[in-house]
Parts: sequence; C-alpha cells; structure tokens
Amino acid sequence: MNPDQQTPETTREATDEVADQSLQRQAVVAKPEPKPAPGTGAARRITVKSLNAYYGDNHAVKGLDLVFEPNHVTAIIGPSGCGKSTMVRCLNRMHEEIPGARASGEVLLDDIDVYDASIDVVAVRRAVGMVFQKPNPFPTMSVFDNVAAGMRLSGARGKDLNEKVESSLRGAGLWEEVKDRLGTPGVGLSGGQQQRLCIARTIAVEPEVILMDEPCSALDPIATLKIEELIAELKRRYTIVIVTHNMQQAARVADRTAFMLTGDMVEFAATEKIFTNPDDSRTEEYVTGKFG
Amino acid sequence: MHEARYAFRQELRKLEEQALGGLDMVESTLGRALEALEHQDVELASLVIVDDDRIDGRYLEVHQGILSLLATQAPVAGDLRLVAALLHVIKHVERMGDQCVNVAKVIPLSGHEPPIHEEILAKVLEMGQLARSEVRQSKQAFELRDVALAEDLVRQDQLINAHNREVFKLALEAGDDADVREWAMHMILVARALERVGDNAVDVGEQVAFVVTGLFREFADASRVSSREE
Amino acid sequence: MSAVLPPVSPRRRRTDTVMRGVVGVLTGLAILPLVLVLYYLFSKGVGAWSVDFFTTDPSGRFFGSPGGVRSAIVGTVLIVGVATLMAVPFGIGVALYLVEYGKESKFANVVRYFVDVMTGVPSIVFGLFIYITLILATGFGGFAGWKGSLALALLMLPVVTRAGEVVLNLVPDGLREAALALGAPRWRVVLRVVLPTALPGLITGSLLAVARAAGETAPLLFTATIVKGTTLNLNDQMNSLPAQIFNDVRQAQDRIVERAWGSALTLVLMILLLTLIARLVQRRSRLT
Repeated sequence: MNPDQQTPETTREATDEVADQSLQRQAVVAKPEPKPAPGTGAARRITVKSLNAYYGDNHAVKGLDLVFEPNHVTAIIGPSGCGKSTMVRCLNRMHEEIPGARASGEVLLDDIDVYDASIDVVAVRRAVGMVFQKPNPFPTMSVFDNVAAGMRLSGARGKDLNEKVESSLRGAGLWEEVKDRLGTPGVGLSGGQQQRLCIARTIAVEPEVILMDEPCSALDPIATLKIEELIAELKRRYTIVIVTHNMQQAARVADRTAFMLTGDMVEFAATEKIFTNPDDSRTEEYVTGKFG
Repeated sequence: MHEARYAFRQELRKLEEQALGGLDMVESTLGRALEALEHQDVELASLVIVDDDRIDGRYLEVHQGILSLLATQAPVAGDLRLVAALLHVIKHVERMGDQCVNVAKVIPLSGHEPPIHEEILAKVLEMGQLARSEVRQSKQAFELRDVALAEDLVRQDQLINAHNREVFKLALEAGDDADVREWAMHMILVARALERVGDNAVDVGEQVAFVVTGLFREFADASRVSSREE
Repeated sequence: MSAVLPPVSPRRRRTDTVMRGVVGVLTGLAILPLVLVLYYLFSKGVGAWSVDFFTTDPSGRFFGSPGGVRSAIVGTVLIVGVATLMAVPFGIGVALYLVEYGKESKFANVVRYFVDVMTGVPSIVFGLFIYITLILATGFGGFAGWKGSLALALLMLPVVTRAGEVVLNLVPDGLREAALALGAPRWRVVLRVVLPTALPGLITGSLLAVARAAGETAPLLFTATIVKGTTLNLNDQMNSLPAQIFNDVRQAQDRIVERAWGSALTLVLMILLLTLIARLVQRRSRLT
C-alpha cells in the first residue's frame, strides 16, 4: 500500500485534507488469503476433478472442478436444487448410498482418489466427517455414548474412551454444559446442543475434513451463532466445507465461497469478492436477491 | 411486485434520487451565489447562506436512509457498492454546499461599492460556470453509470485549476489601491472555493467508477504534481 | 365497534349431535360382542378354576375326577415358546433384509408379496403342511411338540416380518446416515443403531404374533395332538390349551365342559397379559 503523501496544500481546505488522508489510495482488491493457523497438520486438501453425479438419469452435478484448501472454510451457496448438497455428499461417498445414485470423476484427499477401486469406503468416511441439517443424536444412547458411538461404530474397542469423549466435547464447545449429565439421553438436549453433540461425535473419530450440510437450518439464531463461532475454531484443525442457503452465514464464516447453479459451478472466489464485486452477473443477481 | 425485493429496490432508487438531487441543489445554489457576486447583491448572498440548511438537511436524510438500508436489508455486491458510493456523494454535496456559502460570505465583506478589477471578476465568474457544468456532468455520469463521462470531469477541472492560478497571479499584480487589493484578496478566496467545488465533483466521478468497476482509484487531477496510475 | 363473529348455527349443532350419537352407537355395537364374550367367559369359566385345575393333568376317566389342565398349560407355554424362538429371529431377519438391504429391488418386492400371501393362509393349512411333510412321510416319527411349534412358527413368521418392517421403516433415515457417515460398515449400523432404536416396536410386534399363535387350534391338532400327560419332551406328543378345549367341549359331562370354559378363560387371560406387556413396552418406544 502506498503511504499517504503530503500533497501541495495551498488549494485544499484543512478538513478535506484529513478526510483524504484516511482514504485508501489503493484499488480495493480482495484481502490476501488468511494464512492457516498452526494446527495439528491433520487437515487435508480436497481436490475435485470433473465430478459428475447422477440420480438415475438426472444429471445433478455437471463436471465440477474445485479445490478445498486445508484449514480453510469453503462455503457452497446456490438456489434449491442446484446440486450443492449432492456435490458435498460425493466428497465422503454418501451419495452412492441412495438407491440409483452414482458418481464419476475424481475426489482427491491430498493425492488419494477416494473413488479409486482399491479404497475402502468406510475409511473414506472416517477421514471425511459429516454433520447434517437436522441434528441426529442416537436416541437410545446417552450423551457420553453418543460421542463414543463414532469410535465404537468404527470398531474401537474398550480403550479408555473417557479422555477422547471429553476432548471431543470440549472441541465442540459443549463440555461445560453437559459435563454433569453425560449419562442423560442425547435427545434430551436442546436443538443447538444436539447439533454440537453431533459435531463432537464427528470429531471424536479424528477426521481430516468436516462436511456440514446446512448445519444451522434447524436452529434458532443464538444456537446458530454459537455454531458459527465453533466453525471459526474448528478450521484451525480441520478443513471445513459448509453448504448453506443462508448467504449472510456464508459471508460470515467462509474464507472462500463457491456459487452453484443447476449442477454447474458459476463462480468460486474469496468470500469478500463474491459479496462485494463478483465477476459473473449470475452471481451478482443471486447474492443481491434478484432470484433464488 | 414483479421484481424480487421490490421494497428494497424502491428504497435504493429513492435514496439515489435524493443524493443526486442534492447535486441539483448545489448547482442552483452555486448559480445564485455567482449572481450575487456579479451584482454585489448582499440580500441574495444572505439567502444563499440560509439556504445551505436545505442542503445540510438533505445530507442528513440520505445519511439516515443509508444507515437504515444497511441495517434492514444487508445489501451486498453491486448494491453495497452503490450504497457506499451514495454516502460519499452526499458528503461531497454537503461540502460543495459549504463552499457556496463561502462564496456568498465574501460578498458583504467587500463593501457595498467596491472597486472592481474587471479581469479578475470575469475569470472568477467563468470558473463558477465551469464548476456548475462539472456538477451537472457529475450528476449525469452517476445517473448513467458512465465512467468515460466521469473521467472527462478531470479535463474541466484542470481548466478551473488553471483559472485559479491566473486569478492568484492577477491578484498579486492588482495595483497600489489598497481597496482594490483587499477586494482582490477576497476574490482569491472565492476562486479557491470554486476550485474546491470542482474537486468535489471529480470525487463524485470517482465514485461512479467505483460503483461500476468495484475498484477505487483517484482520477489524475491537476492538483497533484504527478498523476498516479494503477 | 364490536367484531362480527357469527355464532354456531343451530343446524350445525344438530348435525354435530347426530354424528356424535351415530359414532357412539356404532362404537358401542362394536364393543358389545367383545364385552359379551368376556362376560360369558368369566361367568362360565371361573367356576372351573381351582387348585386342582392348575396342578393336575386331565385324567381321561369317565367317572371320578376329571382332573385339571396342567399338561395343557405347560404344553401351550412350551410349544408357543419354542415357536417364538423359531419365528422371531427369522421374522426380524426378513424384515431387516427388506428394509435395510433389499429396499425396492425386484427380489425384495417378491419377498414382500410372499409374506403378504402368508398372512392370509389359514392356520389349518400350516398344520396340514407339517403333517404331510413331517408326520406322514416316513423317517420323521409321529406327532411331536416341536412339530406343533414349527406349524405355529410358520403362522407367526409373516406377522413378525410385517410388524418388523413397519417399525424398521419408522427409524429415521437420518440415524442411518449419521452412523454411515461416521465410518461404520452397514452391518454395524443395523446392529448398533437401527435395531436398538426399533427394539421396543419389534418386541411389541413379536408379542402380538405370540398372542395370536397361542390361540390357534388347528395346526396343533395335526401335529402335537392331544395327550393327557404333562411332558417336557418336545419330541413327544404334547397337550395344549386349544386342543384341550376342543376335546372337552364335545364331552357329555358338564364338569368337563365347564373345564373347557375354564381353559378358555385361562387362555384368554394369558393372551391378555401378553398384549398388556406389549403395550407397556410400546410406551417406552421413542418412535411412535
């Protein structure tokens, strides 16, 4: 940035002088990408290449190319039915669980293609965790068991789970609220707490990426805010991809934002650029509310 | 209600009209101030001074409207740039209004029958007309979102600045009559005020470029010794 | 100005009263037979109850004490118990296949169709089937308790499967998704998440199937038949309450006929108890 300069001042009024000195004399460009905070280094980069996804004959995701940077939050926005949820579910291979659904292309975790024939689907899902729109703690389990469920379901046996459960609950910002009622049913918590419980359950299996499919849609504003703050914390340790139909939320939490429209990716840039000066007119129309 | 966010778009349009209307107010006020100057009309001058309240009122209206829009509608992208630009524009309108008051204030000071240096007066009045034309053009450029038209303001502003320097030179050589010299000093103040109006109009032009391109840059204007480009 | 809110029209009031009356009468008519049956059962059957009734076997003698129905009660409990052990795991297994794995595939739809057909098959046909395949055909021995259990199990299977399918479908998909997304193989998802969640409903369905089977007479007549003595050996012919009732009702002696009423009352009460337990378990379910 150029330093403010003293200009030949015989022709200016003093007040204007002050006003001008505080002006940025620089073209307003997007701020440089925030450097990832030092974390465990576990977060991985996801590179999507020519991803196509189908529901039977319905071509829901059309040849997408995308990169999710480690320790960053990337938001996917777009109108209903644009394929954003479908695309995200391809990242942890949940898409193929739907009868009749299939996907093609490459999804690289660093440099391992999760769609490679030799890769175990279950292992992919342990590395790429997911939080869903509607909080879904297991109803037959207590708070403790819910957090431990992730580990138990992936085959962990008997080892001391107490520490892991506590650290996961702390990581989800829920420990203080539930530490005295770990034995109570998970479904007895409030909506926002349930969602944080699900987040704790997800991070208990130590994933490298966390996918969030509209995680706050079912929550009240205060719970939403808590989760958004949590996301800002979580990105220090994980790579985060969040699908949201709430543009303000994308603007608040995401470093980069991708705008999708009927299966195509229209624009993918720093969040600030998308919301102050997008390149594509369709992006402009969507974020300003002219459609969608 | 065929348009999405109809109420919001209406409000935004109204805000723009109000802000640009401020430019109209400035232009007519400037005209009256010049007239008062030309005919040494002290009454007209005091009218101009009082009338500045209207411009200040317009500033407050637009300012409040912008705050309200930001709070209730959360504009983004192009809408956000427009709102930010309008905030700058109305500030420039208010400054220009103050400069017109500065011009009007000088008139009673120069006495009821001051000695007039014809050349200086002519130059100053010409500056005034140039300034008025700049204000009109800046409004047009904003309405039409015409960046080329906005950039053309620089050319006119350079003329004003040249005139300003000449007035200064002429005033230095105004002669031995103390009354004339005193009057000439007042004219320097007027010239300076008019030159400031021109600068503010160029600033409005810069806002036009910002709204359209999303980039903010200073148009090269002659008050800088060297122009800075991107 | 007071708001104008028209009151309920008299015509509407009348229609309402009439409809309430009609529905009430119909309900009463529907419950009436049930009440009558229970009343008859109770009034005619409770007289047969005594300590002997529950502790001695039918003597089969024309003169003297006719004995109790101990063997029948024991037989019913054993036969139905074994039938449950056979039918419930299979039934739930089929339900699990249909809901978790087969879903809408062609094979799954065929299976569903067959299960539906099976619910309509008359119970006597199952009895006949076992009779022909396991009793008439040589090498399998004669009448036996376990063959009766088998016939009852065939009867219970489609009921358990049907009820199981309904309950498993009630388990929200979100739970399965959550478990899958945590990196669990599908069998673990079913075992650790779906089954525990559906358990109360599955138990209820099974208990209702049991209640139905306990009262079936025809299959047992062809497979376990009627004997007098109490036996715990499922390989032997075994007595059961329905069979005993069938036998006693045709006798000339009043006391024996009365014993039949007592048996019927006992049987109904046992079934009532099972249904009650099923209801209580249902209340603990978080799905319905």
